[in-house]
Amino acid sequence: MNAIRLIASDEWRLLRRNRVAMLGLLMLLALSVLAALTSITSRDSSDAIRARFQQQADAAFDGAPARHPHRMVHYGHFVFRPLPVLAAFDPGVDAFTGNTIYLEGHRQNSANFGDVRQSSLLVRFGQLTPAFVLQALAPLMLIFIGFGAVARERERGTIRQLLAHGISARTLVLGKAWGLAKVAALMLAPAALALGWLMAMESAPLAPSLFLLGGYMLYLAIWVVLIVIVSALSSHARTALMALIGLWAFAVILLPRVAPDIALASHPTLTRLETDIAIQKDLRAMGDSHNPDDPYFNAFKARTLKQYGVEKVEDLPVNYRGLLAVEGEKLTSKLFDDYATRQFAAQKAQSWQTDLAGLVSPAIALRRASVAIAGTDLEGHRRFLTQAEAYRFAIVQQLNALQANAITYADDGNRNKDPEAARRVRIDPKNWQEVPDFSYRATSTGEKLTAALPGLLILLGWFAVLAFGLRLAARRLGNAV
Amino acid sequence: MSGLWLKEARLFLRQRMALPALLLMFVLSIASVWAGMAEMSRQRDVIARIQPQQAADVAAIAKWVSKGGDAGEAAYYTFHATWDAPSALAFAAIGQRDVAPYILRVRALGLEAQLYESENYNAELALPGRFDWAFVLTYLAPLFVIILLHDLKSGEREAGRFTLLAAMARSEAGLWRRRIVLRLSLLWIALALPFTVGAVLSGASAGSIASFLLVSAAYLVFWALLCLWIGSRGWSSVTNAATLAASWLVLTLILPALAHLAINMVIPVRQGVELTLEQREKIHGGWDRPKDETMQAFFKVYPEWKDTKPVGIGFHYKWYYAFQHLGDLAAAPQAKAYRAGLEQRDNWTARTGVFLPAVGVQTLLHRWANTDLRAGLAYQDRIRAYHERLRRFYYPYLFDEVPFREGDFEKTPVWN
Repeated sequence: MNAIRLIASDEWRLLRRNRVAMLGLLMLLALSVLAALTSITSRDSSDAIRARFQQQADAAFDGAPARHPHRMVHYGHFVFRPLPVLAAFDPGVDAFTGNTIYLEGHRQNSANFGDVRQSSLLVRFGQLTPAFVLQALAPLMLIFIGFGAVARERERGTIRQLLAHGISARTLVLGKAWGLAKVAALMLAPAALALGWLMAMESAPLAPSLFLLGGYMLYLAIWVVLIVIVSALSSHARTALMALIGLWAFAVILLPRVAPDIALASHPTLTRLETDIAIQKDLRAMGDSHNPDDPYFNAFKARTLKQYGVEKVEDLPVNYRGLLAVEGEKLTSKLFDDYATRQFAAQKAQSWQTDLAGLVSPAIALRRASVAIAGTDLEGHRRFLTQAEAYRFAIVQQLNALQANAITYADDGNRNKDPEAARRVRIDPKNWQEVPDFSYRATSTGEKLTAALPGLLILLGWFAVLAFGLRLAARRLGNAV
Repeated sequence: MSGLWLKEARLFLRQRMALPALLLMFVLSIASVWAGMAEMSRQRDVIARIQPQQAADVAAIAKWVSKGGDAGEAAYYTFHATWDAPSALAFAAIGQRDVAPYILRVRALGLEAQLYESENYNAELALPGRFDWAFVLTYLAPLFVIILLHDLKSGEREAGRFTLLAAMARSEAGLWRRRIVLRLSLLWIALALPFTVGAVLSGASAGSIASFLLVSAAYLVFWALLCLWIGSRGWSSVTNAATLAASWLVLTLILPALAHLAINMVIPVRQGVELTLEQREKIHGGWDRPKDETMQAFFKVYPEWKDTKPVGIGFHYKWYYAFQHLGDLAAAPQAKAYRAGLEQRDNWTARTGVFLPAVGVQTLLHRWANTDLRAGLAYQDRIRAYHERLRRFYYPYLFDEVPFREGDFEKTPVWN
């Protein structure tokens, strides 16, 4: 153990004398600090803006004047997706999904105003966040610092002296890895501080934050071991450098782009426009409220009359138009849910397929774990869409019930002819305040960690395999020299 | 003379890194062109596929609306399809086409609430960006230039051949020039050949293909010059390689990400949400405002309908479509500001491209392929114009109270 530490500290001394490496390391640390600061500020301001807009929308709804309830169904509501605290660390898909939905009766609108459509193509170069720095840049910097760790000693022949002094190849390799791991720990420091800040100042949840940090530690550890293995297997430092840059470009840059293409081709999904048309078509087949002889709505009418024991809709104690609205919304909502479920299932299959690429690239596995823990994965967006739809259905039905109960059938029918009826159908605006505000329920810690588990397990697998690889590389090194 | 070139080529290809690197570049280029073309043919298929679905949808609506013959209902229930077909070169630079909708249906109601709808796409798959030829060129090709040129001189020096080579060559400069030109052009051919084939197959014009090729060649030359400059400092091959890879990191990842951060911070764009909130208030306020006030405001914009029959106390579609349009007009300043913000972001990106070759190349290719932010805005402009045609088509039926029959559905303006 002592020898390992000695070799590690020797690596450090060398690193401190290497001006280029020090400059690179300092640059990375500066970038990391900058990324953390800007990412935290922009998360805070985005979240504050969304909260302000949500308040504005809530106030507008509550403050609406006396209206026919069906007017309020069409006036609708806006909901905004809050941004989880850990999004400051990894914003994930936040920029790629809209963060606000307009909710109205009979229609399901999309989430709009995602940053990706509001940014130039620069957004596709990657956003400077702590996650990006650690996922993409830190491994490359580790490569620059560590590619020669063993290969250089081999090239210069100094390795023979070391082995002659009774240091085993295994100790040497472990020492080099330990030295590089300390550099990796230093690279992780700004991100760890940022997480600490988020926990202390913005009450980021403890367990997820620690798992997030653990995931990134594991990821950098994988790179450290990989770098030392390649360095130990290469007879020339340059070969090691080339091989490592190639591996990095493949795992971090190329594969994350290729995997989605394959997933998209093998699991096509319906476009929004086709979904709209299909829903309308299904709706017409189920029951056409515009058709006076429609069997579905005729049966509904007969059922309602029988339930209340009356002959005509005029004799119902409630407003039949309101009941029709409730029934119609039930039909459309059911279809919205069906199509959304299918869409989400297809997207899940796509994501699952790209996750498999994590077996080949630890960067993909880490990304899965990172966005899952931060609550910024597609699942987080799906939760928002599902909850927004449930909320839409609830408030529309509450308003439809008001139409059924607070307005008479006669007034509702005469509102376009009789000014008095028109006045009476505009019900008390206090009713709008009774409608509850939207509150988004975020993923629980348990759900986050469950979603992150596959990624974390793949990373652990990587680490185990590479640790074994390091032993083999050490043995080969001992034999070769 | 040609003998010398041939000899150099044979020498070069015998190097350990040379042939695998060229082959890999070639394979990556083919794969990216293939993936891009597959994506574009998928998008074209979608556009073709929606036509019969859309026609059936309109026919089903026409069937019951024409019975009542109310143009207001026809305009309310009929959605009109618009689409933005990919350009011939979109396959090489997919740009925003995977995140911005290229098909959208609109009605003759307030447009601002419809214009910014999003597509159902898997955001996790869009996050890393697409694997297209522009990506291979901007990110991967420089790495290959670095592999092939970082040890041009230092490799010979380390092998102890440098002085010998310099002494034996008829002209030393000519020797290095030959080697550089040879390596770079072979790499460029590996990169450009699949693209050219794809572009010809996609029916791109010779001029646009030439522009793409020129830009790609210029980009490779930039990286070659950088390699030569670093190589001229007399460092070892390994230092050259590390320095060049670090430059690549800074020029293609770090600086563009910093530029993006700066641009989005300096030019905040929030008007999108503001304008939709505003437009909704204006439109729904229409129900509560005196009808006459709404109609007078509308007639100021469209005086040609001033003398048509006035609306009564009840609901009338004339009045409904009037306040729909007034809602759009009320939100127009925000819509303009929103758009100006987006354009400003795009302009600053183009300016960044002057200093950052990677950004410059991406900007140019996506501009020419018509797949950038500006192309998305142009599509929105076309939708705006089409929406106006739709409104103007429905207005005579509404204001002159002409019944809208099944045959009238066929007269609706079509998207082109």
